[in-house]
Amino acid sequence: MSKQQPVLFSIGWNACINCGACVAICPQEAGFVSPFDTIAVDRPCDIACLLCEQICPVDTIRHEVVATDSVRPVSAGIR
Amino acid sequence: MPQLDYDVIIIGSGPAGSTTARFAANAGLRVLLVDKRQELGAPIQCSGAISRHALEQVGIVPDAEFIHEAIYGFAIYDESGNRTVHDYRQLKADEYGVEAGKKPLGYVVDRRRFDRYLMTRAERAGVDVWLKTEGLGYTPHPDGHCTVRLQRYNEIKDLTARIVVGADGLQSQVGKWAGLQTHIKITELAGCLQFIVDGVETEGLLEIITGHRWAPGGYAWVFPKGHGYAEIGLGVVATMTDEPARDHLHRFISESFFADRFKNSRILEVQGGGVPLAAPLRTQFADNMILVGDAARHVNPITGGGLHTAVAGGKIAANFLVGHIGDKLPLTDGALKAYQDLWLAELGNKMWKLYDIKTDIFHNMNIPERDDQLYATMSDYFSPTSEFKKI
Repeated sequence: MSKQQPVLFSIGWNACINCGACVAICPQEAGFVSPFDTIAVDRPCDIACLLCEQICPVDTIRHEVVATDSVRPVSAGIR
Repeated sequence: MPQLDYDVIIIGSGPAGSTTARFAANAGLRVLLVDKRQELGAPIQCSGAISRHALEQVGIVPDAEFIHEAIYGFAIYDESGNRTVHDYRQLKADEYGVEAGKKPLGYVVDRRRFDRYLMTRAERAGVDVWLKTEGLGYTPHPDGHCTVRLQRYNEIKDLTARIVVGADGLQSQVGKWAGLQTHIKITELAGCLQFIVDGVETEGLLEIITGHRWAPGGYAWVFPKGHGYAEIGLGVVATMTDEPARDHLHRFISESFFADRFKNSRILEVQGGGVPLAAPLRTQFADNMILVGDAARHVNPITGGGLHTAVAGGKIAANFLVGHIGDKLPLTDGALKAYQDLWLAELGNKMWKLYDIKTDIFHNMNIPERDDQLYATMSDYFSPTSEFKKI
C-alpha cells in the first residue's frame, strides 16, 4: 500500500531519554522494538511513515533508505 | 481443565497493573505480576500528579514514602500570563489546608517510589511478582485457558492462566498480540518533555500554561516537586509544529512571561514521554485478555493525566475478573465485553465526553480562538463546580 521505500532507523543514544513515544506511535506489529524500548534499529521498517521521527521529543531518530535490492543503502534526505 | 499456574497473569507493574493485581489477590485469585524492568517507575514518563480522592478510592493512604509534595489547587494561565486560580485553601477553607484536621487536594508523587509502593502492596496481598520478566506472547486454548510466554532474565517460561491482563503502558505489546487496533494518531499523541529543576518557587498549586505559542496542541506545566524543586514541562503535537518538544521547552523557559521566574533554574533531571490526548481504545479485550491503564488508553484526553484513571481502572478490572472468574463465566472475547461495558459505565463514558470537548477545541484552526477555548476549558475543568472533578 505504502509507496515508501523501506528505511533503517538509527537513534542518537546520547539524546534518547527512553520515553517510549516512538514505540507508542509506531504502527508496526508487536515486537518492532529495540532492547532499549525504542523502535527497532536492527532491521528495516517497510512502512516508513516516519511518525517516530516526528513525535520524538528530543529529535534523535534518523533513517536511511534501504535499497530495494537490499545490496547498498541509499543516503536519505536527513533533516 | 488441568491445574493452572495462575488465575491471572498481569504484564506490567505500573499503577494500573499493580492495582489490578492487589484487588484480584485480595479477593482470592492467584495472580502473577511481571515487569521487564529492574526498577519500577523508571524511566519516568509522567509528571506525577494524582488527587487524594483517587488514592483513597483504591485504598492507598498517602504516605511520605512516595509523596514529593502536597497540592492545594490549580492556576491556569493564558498565553500572556493572565491566570485563573482555584486555590482550595480559600475555596473550601474548612476542608483543605496544611493545618491539623485539613487535607491536601492531591499530591505530586515520585513515580519510582509510588510504583514500587503499589507493587509492594500487591505483593503483600499475595501476588507473586517477577521483575526482569518480559511478556513475549500468549495463546488462547479451546478449553478456555491460555498459555503466556515469559522471559525471566534469560529463561523462557510458558505458564498457564485463565486470563492475561495487558498493563504494559502506552507502548503496549499485549494488545498487539491479540491483533487489537491499538494504533494512535499522530495528532493525538503529545510528545512531552520535562525538567526537574532547582531554583523555581512554587505555591502548592499545579500550574497549567495554555497557548499555541508555548505548546502547540498541548500545554505547558509547572508543578511543585518537594524540597524546593519544581518540574517544568510541556507537551506538543507533532503535526502542529516543525520543532521537537525540546525546542519548545527551551523557548518556554527563556522567552515566556515566566522567563524571569525561571532565570535561576538549574536542571536536575530530564524526563519525557508520549502522552495520549485521545479516546480510550474502542476494544480493550480479546480472547483470554483485557487491557488496563495506558495500554487501554485510560488517560484523561484533556489533561493527559493517567494516574487516577490507571488505578481506578485497575480496581474496576480486578472486581470484574473476580466476579467473572468466580461465576465460572467464559473468557472468550465476547464474554469479556462485559469488562469494557463496566469500565465505560464507571469511568469511560466521561472520558469519551472529555475527548469530544478536546476534539472540538483542536479542530478549530483559528489559533487565537482556539487558545481562548483551551484556556476557558482548562479554567473550568479544574474549578470546584466542574462536572469532571472526579476524573
